[in-house]
Amino acid sequence: MNVRRVVRRVGWGLIWSALLIFAFLGYQLFVTDLLNDRVQAAAEADLAEDLAERREDLPEPEIVTVELPPDDPADTPTSTTPTSTSTTVPPVEFSPEEAGEEGSTLGRIAIPSLDVDEVLFEGVTRETLNMGPGHMPWTPVPGQPGNAVISGHRTTYGRPFYDLDKLEMGDRIEVETAVGLHVFEVREIHIVEPTDVWVTEPIPGAWLTLTTCHPRFSAAERLIIQAEMVEGPNLEYASLLAQVRDGNEERT
Amino acid sequence: MRRIWAALPGTVTVKALQAVALAVVALTALIFLFEWAGTLLDSGGVVGPSS
Repeated sequence: MNVRRVVRRVGWGLIWSALLIFAFLGYQLFVTDLLNDRVQAAAEADLAEDLAERREDLPEPEIVTVELPPDDPADTPTSTTPTSTSTTVPPVEFSPEEAGEEGSTLGRIAIPSLDVDEVLFEGVTRETLNMGPGHMPWTPVPGQPGNAVISGHRTTYGRPFYDLDKLEMGDRIEVETAVGLHVFEVREIHIVEPTDVWVTEPIPGAWLTLTTCHPRFSAAERLIIQAEMVEGPNLEYASLLAQVRDGNEERT
Repeated sequence: MRRIWAALPGTVTVKALQAVALAVVALTALIFLFEWAGTLLDSGGVVGPSS
């Protein structure tokens, strides 16, 4: 009699556990998508207006002059004396952009080869990432010189980066911000530990780093996609800064 | 369920209100639990010391 009662209780416990697990999976795989769809739809409807407002707050584009470092004297066979002056290239236009408040819309990210087109938000708190891909606030805004980092969910909350592992070298990633449209091409793909912050460090030029969980349905590792800007309002300026950095590194 | 209903004090209306309150609390706790456990499936992909 006692044994039957124990068996019955264990049986009910297993049934409730199974229901709980199904409810959990249903919540994670379907409910979070529905919640994200609603937020994305609302953000999408307001995006044009939000970007127009951000454009009004942008500082005026600057005309900047960049001095390239002198050529390495070792490369000049006719003379052993170092060339003393640096090379000044014609001034270029630079459109600076600062990020907004946590959770505000920053623009749009599109990956045509993966059919991804999402509203991009500022910040990487859990609440913000549940709305869509988020920009790491302590990195430059995409399209600015340096390494802009964007994180996104892989398997829940709209799963914007579900197929990120299918990206190949040279694939295009488009990011539209208040400054304009920036196009990046994939240059590097890494699988790293979640604590490998080196992937967020500055890179000469203008780069975009996408980070998401790896493998799917696990947060054990991170899939990292690094892409270099090939089109955008600040391309010329960022390229010149990269040349300056490369020149200085070669000389040291 | 019947036992919980029987254990609730008051009239049928009061019991119903208490049942609704209990359901809301249980559902909130469940979603909180699901959200926490969900970070094991997908934390959002952020790279950093707290990840």
